[in-house]
Amino acid sequence: MSAAPGRPSGDGPRWEVFKQDAAGKPHQAVGSVHAADAEHALLMARSVHARRPAAVSLWVAPADAVLSVTAEQLAAAGDEGAAPAHGDTEGAPQRYLVFRKSSHRRAITFVDHVGEVTAVGPWAALRAAIVAFPEPPALAWWIVPSERVSASPDYEAAAWFEPARAKTYKQQSAYGTTAPTRRRRQG
Amino acid sequence: MTHALATDVAAALVARLTAMADDELILGHRDAEWTGHAPLLEEDIALANIAQDEIGHAVLWLELRSQLDDSDPDALAFFRDAGDFRSSRLVELPRGDWAFTLLRQFLFDAHEAELLAALSGSSYRPLAEAAGKAATEEVFHLRHTGLWLERLAHGTDESAARIGAALERLAPYLPQLTEPLPSDSVLERAGVLPSMEAVGRATRTRIEGALAAVGLDLPQVPANPGGRERHTEDLVTLLIDMQAVARADPEAEAW
Amino acid sequence: MADLGAESPERLAAFEARIAAGEKIEPGDWMPEAYRHQLVRMISQHAHSEVVGMLPEGAWIPRAPSLRRKLILLAKVQDEAGHGQYLYHAAETLGVHRDELIAALLEGRAKYSSVFNYPPLTWADVGMIGWLVDGAAIKNQVMLAQCSYGPYSRAMVRICAEETFHHKQGKEMVLTYARGTAHQRAMAQDALDRWWWPSLMMLGPHDSDSPNTPQLVRWGVKTKTNDQVRQEFVDEHAPELLEVGLEVPDPELRFDPADGHWHHGPIDWDEFWAVVRGDGPLNAERLEARRRAFEEGRWVREAIAAHAARREATA
Repeated sequence: MSAAPGRPSGDGPRWEVFKQDAAGKPHQAVGSVHAADAEHALLMARSVHARRPAAVSLWVAPADAVLSVTAEQLAAAGDEGAAPAHGDTEGAPQRYLVFRKSSHRRAITFVDHVGEVTAVGPWAALRAAIVAFPEPPALAWWIVPSERVSASPDYEAAAWFEPARAKTYKQQSAYGTTAPTRRRRQG
Repeated sequence: MTHALATDVAAALVARLTAMADDELILGHRDAEWTGHAPLLEEDIALANIAQDEIGHAVLWLELRSQLDDSDPDALAFFRDAGDFRSSRLVELPRGDWAFTLLRQFLFDAHEAELLAALSGSSYRPLAEAAGKAATEEVFHLRHTGLWLERLAHGTDESAARIGAALERLAPYLPQLTEPLPSDSVLERAGVLPSMEAVGRATRTRIEGALAAVGLDLPQVPANPGGRERHTEDLVTLLIDMQAVARADPEAEAW
Repeated sequence: MADLGAESPERLAAFEARIAAGEKIEPGDWMPEAYRHQLVRMISQHAHSEVVGMLPEGAWIPRAPSLRRKLILLAKVQDEAGHGQYLYHAAETLGVHRDELIAALLEGRAKYSSVFNYPPLTWADVGMIGWLVDGAAIKNQVMLAQCSYGPYSRAMVRICAEETFHHKQGKEMVLTYARGTAHQRAMAQDALDRWWWPSLMMLGPHDSDSPNTPQLVRWGVKTKTNDQVRQEFVDEHAPELLEVGLEVPDPELRFDPADGHWHHGPIDWDEFWAVVRGDGPLNAERLEARRRAFEEGRWVREAIAAHAARREATA
């Protein structure tokens, strides 16, 4: 697990955070946290990105492990008349998680998890992803080595995600537009 | 009232709920003092979650008390004098440094987890249900405070020294936190409470185990904690601040 | 990745065409250096405002007069930390590091919203800040949620969704106090007297004194000018304040049936610029509080970095 500390007095490395809102929905990139290590990053992801409903699972991955490529960058590479000139060091094939964004609509989240590919490096994984997940046209791709991803423990999902539901005072629907009245007694 | 209790049992339960609520409220208040001042932006948010959980538990216990004696939770929180609070001195101490705050939170969480697990078997259904709900939050608290315990104990020389100093300072207050109330025996006989002595022993075992795992020993302290009528001076100053706005306008019907 | 090329009229035209077509610019896409620079400036200033903005309200958490208000204010100030966190993240997608941005704030090199250099003096200020300051902020944030830069837009969409609660809880407080005891009513009026003008000023200088605005509008960073956003704020809040029986401290405030807008009197910009320059009553104190938290947290950050490094070395 990567945990290269940042400058000693600083906030430490950055971890991308992926949140799943409900079973059957994809994990989506919601932002990041700074934390010293993966375990800390997961707890911080819960505190920062799941303090309101809804979430059922979180993933974190070191930001420097993410290959991020936009459609514009891919097109520019194509214009230069070559497949991306970024080969990978040949290594043993490994699994990569594939994320993509496919709409310019206003949104809270960025790329969505769409699946996995196995490849010898992130660029090979990207090429495989473009073939495997062609539709609709992607505006941006993220390729993340599966072994660098840490997940919130499913067996503790209730403890991680249920408490946010009870904190109804964080929801605007808890507030009327008229003044509340309240009985009052001396205790 | 669907859960009618004998008068002496109800009175004992009011005392037990008050002690639990006061611990949660005062600890939540202390944790909330970090808001805007934590060592990392993410931890500022995380500790504010813990503070909300604890104050939320205080509300749970005060609402249960209200069902028994028709008391007003806000009046209890904002119009009682320090001498009438039943918080333990452990939660009253000022917030100290990050090691002190996180270790105190860990010690409290360890006790609360044991207490709630036991209470979820209470024959008094409203208490059992509330305990089950609060227990869920404690699982995450213990993950968080346990993570810090390990990192501070095995971080730098300075962090190890600070967690050691926090433990020396806090250990003498632990017995009072776990000491049964005199009236708890009434509840135990009625099946409303499990054995509070056993909860205290389980808490101590849990704490000693977690400390041992990071190379720390719980200092031995005299086991004569004194009752919850005794408070720190820190509670007095805390309440002066906490109650100032409410007490400046006792006629106010709503805030 | 391939160098997407230096600036040229063709590249700039293609970039502006993308924005005109409603596309979002994402990290990695080509952008003019001035666009990147303006975004880093705006986003980091906005992030600093959230983090410094925790201080004035955070000081009142211990004194909240009911258990519900205590929970609400704690959650609100927590949200401000969260919003700062989202915004620093958005800035970091432009190639800067949060440590550098925070260092600039602590060293007094970065700006934050001048409104946080005014002191909250009573509990009612917490309500008035929620209703007016957050009300003004939301007008700006709803506009910025349309921003052409994807990460900033996403942060703003999320902040707007969460911040609506801040506005509503503040309004609920002020309505309660306006109809409450004489003491509560007096507090509410006093709070309005002190927060009305800062709320108008926090939406920024008049368009004529806002040199960056035309370019920011053309690039889809802002979609409205400061004066347009300010007008929306006054149109919503002035009548609501009057309806609950409070007096807005502007003798020239009036509704013009001809244009359907509320018109306010002249703003004291000398005071605004003094506060922006850091002459505000609390500028030094706010930064000192942030510096103290940073210094007192140094050993904590060193400890977790050392722990992580040791764990990695033995992994």
